[in-house]
Amino acid sequence: MRAMLAEAETTARRPGGLAAWLAQERVFRLVPFVMVEGMFLLLLALPFALTIYISLLRWRANRPFEQAYFQGFANYARVIGEPEFWSSIGRTFYFAGAAVTLELVLGFFLAMLVHQALRGRRLYITIFLVPMMVVPVVVGYNFSMIYVDSGPLNQILSPFLTPFGLESRIRWLSHPLAAQWAIILADVWQWTSLTFLIFLSGFAALPAELINAARVMGASRWQIFRRVQLPLLKPAIIIAVVIRTMEALKLFDQAVLLTFGGPGDSTQTIAFFLWRQVWQFNKYGFGAAASVLLLLLFSTLIYGGIYLLVRERALLQQPEGRG
Amino acid sequence: MAATERPHAPTAKARRRRLFPYFRHAVLIAWSLIVLFPIFWMVSTSFKGSGEWVAWPPHWLPHQPTLYNYQQILAVGPLAAAPSREATEQVYNIWKAVGDSVAIATFSSLVALLMGTFLAYSISRFSVGGKNFRYLVLTIRMVPPIVIAIPILMYYAVLMPYTTDLLLGVRVSLFDTYVGLGLLYVATTLPFVIWMMLSFIDEVPYTLEHAARIMGAGRIYTLRRVVLPLVASGMMVTFLFIFILNWSEFLLSLTLTQPQVSTLPVLLNKFQSAVEGRLYGPQAAIGTVITLPVVVLGILIQKHLITGFSFGMLRK
Repeated sequence: MRAMLAEAETTARRPGGLAAWLAQERVFRLVPFVMVEGMFLLLLALPFALTIYISLLRWRANRPFEQAYFQGFANYARVIGEPEFWSSIGRTFYFAGAAVTLELVLGFFLAMLVHQALRGRRLYITIFLVPMMVVPVVVGYNFSMIYVDSGPLNQILSPFLTPFGLESRIRWLSHPLAAQWAIILADVWQWTSLTFLIFLSGFAALPAELINAARVMGASRWQIFRRVQLPLLKPAIIIAVVIRTMEALKLFDQAVLLTFGGPGDSTQTIAFFLWRQVWQFNKYGFGAAASVLLLLLFSTLIYGGIYLLVRERALLQQPEGRG
Repeated sequence: MAATERPHAPTAKARRRRLFPYFRHAVLIAWSLIVLFPIFWMVSTSFKGSGEWVAWPPHWLPHQPTLYNYQQILAVGPLAAAPSREATEQVYNIWKAVGDSVAIATFSSLVALLMGTFLAYSISRFSVGGKNFRYLVLTIRMVPPIVIAIPILMYYAVLMPYTTDLLLGVRVSLFDTYVGLGLLYVATTLPFVIWMMLSFIDEVPYTLEHAARIMGAGRIYTLRRVVLPLVASGMMVTFLFIFILNWSEFLLSLTLTQPQVSTLPVLLNKFQSAVEGRLYGPQAAIGTVITLPVVVLGILIQKHLITGFSFGMLRK
């Protein structure tokens, strides 16, 4: 055993051994890159190529794969002609738009207030960051309990609603519009913590000298905010918008847990719609074609988002004296 | 503040300025209550007997606190008869799902952390992959998981058995396996590892490595003894962060596992859909058990989250 170890050591030290080969700069810099790219290729690109192939087949999962036959673009035509596909995409954007707007506004103002607060700062930060750490499925479950018709939310709201002759019990999960907002509010509850965190680190990074200088020169609070702080916070705002939009468009967990797409299809997001088509109705060809189309649609969005991030970075790397 | 230094009677503006801190705390406390309420409600429900789950008016605190919900989900053997007739005597064992979740989340987070750290190092030092590679890598995180899940389903369940049958004569499928789900978790969390580790590695001064290299240390030795110790705390934070992500992942695990492998979010969902959400007590107990460790972890890394989430763009 010891002899073997010694043997291994000498081979490793010998010029031309594995370690020496690895330590060459040419090799050393590429090894992790090749490993990670290889993994992406095998695990994401290859399956996607397979999906493009399957999207051209006529095949249902309950039949063996060998019985599938080539049928051209029929699956694509079926997806494009499916009104539910488009309406669920529209609904996803509606949810994401509403939720992300609320999250940005709330997160921004909470971060601003916490940044100014002298007392209890740490405690507020600790509390505000908690929702981010709660498992989304648990959030869905929690809210399903709060939204129950005879649940705590309606109890809290009833003193405010009954004097106006409104229904004292909002049917949060069985009325179409209420169910949509139930999902949006659950998303806002959970992810305002993330925009808060991004904006808080933005505020923390603001250079104090600039703000003091502006104050000395007699700028009003509003002027300082509008002309000094806001421009400097632009990168944080863009990061928050890009990251949150991308995540919000994935909306799935709450649609399953809170409403299961219902009532009717009023809370059916695109992820939920495709999940049902493929996993419940076994429409593999349809699902494959839809995911190819969806990736095409999303890649324009994704590159738009990446472009925004890269542009911000380019601005940041310029020597100071901007604005 | 400036307002207190003025000798004459407070103007309306000064009064507003003096009241502002109270307004600020009022807003912040209100949001704290909103944030804490669902969690409070879950913990409270987890101690309620079945009669109190949906009482009207709702019971904010359990009138007769009970540990029965926890016994139901944590017990290994059969339970004594239920204390009330609505509650079922069934035992919902969560240990299998806990084990699966812990194993998959831990291993895939570790693998992703190692691969991502080394790649982040070579991006930072050698700009491997081009100038914008650090952003391009994020695209993977932005693709909706359903667009990943559908191809992977066909890949795991069709192409893999088919090719291994041709090549080796055995049908191997990664569908519903630990490895299959774990690999996907590695691939989907790698972008975050790379981004977070980049912001830590970029901070390590290159002169240190340079000095080590001049004194005759090899590349691997330098990496292991100079760079890694300096970013160790960053690695810890990144690990915990992606652990939380993997721990709470739902879509991929719902679609690509079951019945052999099942993680905690999927188990909780089964409760929700199978019984039309009527078993609030045991569900609340499971929710509490899933949430508590993660929240504690999160509070531990909270200080670092603020730097980690700047994604290296907000500083400087």
